[in-house]
Amino acid sequence: MYMRNLIAFFRRFRVFLIFILLQVFALSTYFSFLNFPRSQYLTSASQVSGTILKARNDITKHFNLSKNNQALQRENIKLRERLPESMQRLQNGTILIDDTLFHQQYTYIPATLINSTLTKRNNYFTLNIGRLQGIKRGMGVFSDNGVVGIIHNVSDHFSVVKSVLTENINIDVMIEPIGLFGLLKWDGRDPRRGSITGISNDLKIKKWSKVVTRGGSGIFPRGIMVGRIGKLKAVEGKPLWDVEIRFTEDYRTLQRVYIIKNLLQEEQEELEDAIPEDEEE
Amino acid sequence: MNEVIKHSIRFLVLVIVQTMVLNHLEIGLGIQFMVYPLFIVLLPFEMGIIYMLLTAFVMGLAIDSISNTYGLHTSSLLLITYLRPVIFNMFSPREGYDKLKEGNIYEMGSRWFLYVFGLLLTIHHLWFFTLEIFRIDDLLFVLQKTLFSVPLSFLLCLLIQATFVSKPKER
Repeated sequence: MYMRNLIAFFRRFRVFLIFILLQVFALSTYFSFLNFPRSQYLTSASQVSGTILKARNDITKHFNLSKNNQALQRENIKLRERLPESMQRLQNGTILIDDTLFHQQYTYIPATLINSTLTKRNNYFTLNIGRLQGIKRGMGVFSDNGVVGIIHNVSDHFSVVKSVLTENINIDVMIEPIGLFGLLKWDGRDPRRGSITGISNDLKIKKWSKVVTRGGSGIFPRGIMVGRIGKLKAVEGKPLWDVEIRFTEDYRTLQRVYIIKNLLQEEQEELEDAIPEDEEE
Repeated sequence: MNEVIKHSIRFLVLVIVQTMVLNHLEIGLGIQFMVYPLFIVLLPFEMGIIYMLLTAFVMGLAIDSISNTYGLHTSSLLLITYLRPVIFNMFSPREGYDKLKEGNIYEMGSRWFLYVFGLLLTIHHLWFFTLEIFRIDDLLFVLQKTLFSVPLSFLLCLLIQATFVSKPKER
């Protein structure tokens, strides 16, 4: 009897139940993927989507070619200026070259952006390299003009970057030259402007001061450009500034990026994991 | 032309246009073009709702997986597909829907299309932007995005129909 009622119920609400089932699937993937992607099948890191996007990029990459070439040339000049060949020696005599003084901490892997969005609340960029090229979740991504984001999801040949144009990017940044720390945020409106939270309002901040990465978490080295200070607004009821920054990178025409591999990441994490958990908050 | 092939081609064209072209346009004010709801309106009148829901699900997943929205498009598309019969009934012509016709602007008239598609598109955009932003403080921004995006998406859909949907022959 109950069984028959149950079947009658299912028959009556069959359409609604199927709708709810599919809807729950869609919404649960949406909300869980935002925080932690469990698989790469529903993202542009998957083989099929990645290949399609790569084909598209093969056509559209030429549109910004001259601008990108100029940017690369500028960066080359900057690096060339630091070579010993372009400097004049001030002291004659023997010079001690101490090559054990420095230990390499960061290496960089070049990559090309094959897909990006700008109008969404959370914008993700797709890169043309993946796990087989040594990319791992959590690595930092930047370009010669500024910071880009953090690797969010990786497949064998592609990877997805959670860009600075997302709600919870929370990159540690620092205002130069005063050295104030804050967290980078984006409000979802303008891909040219972001904001920094956590800056106390008893300190004076000059407009157009540089904002760079702090390099505390080991994802980014210290001093990668983020942007310049724009307007300051007081946060109501709190002794804090809401600092607007203008990104130095134009994410609308971004193509070439570098991925940061921190050779000492494991060492740092090992050390930080040794802190007892209850003391953290 | 065979109906199945016709709708499959529309499916592919709309997914490609949406993911390869429209997702990459950035014109400010939070405007985002979305034209794939057109596919749901153009499905045959006699098609079963369960099949429509499944088609919408597949289409949503295809768009989501290419544009990294993880189920956002799927959810919005499922919602308007579920509401389609309700809204079609609200604006039903006096003698009911002719099974030989489909819901495009030439066969159903511009008034019907404006009401039905306009309503579905508004629901779709509103749901999409609400889920995407998902903060009560930003309610005004959600409304702004919807208000600006719906007319532009609508115009674009008219353009797509003018280009790809064949006009009925004079009888």
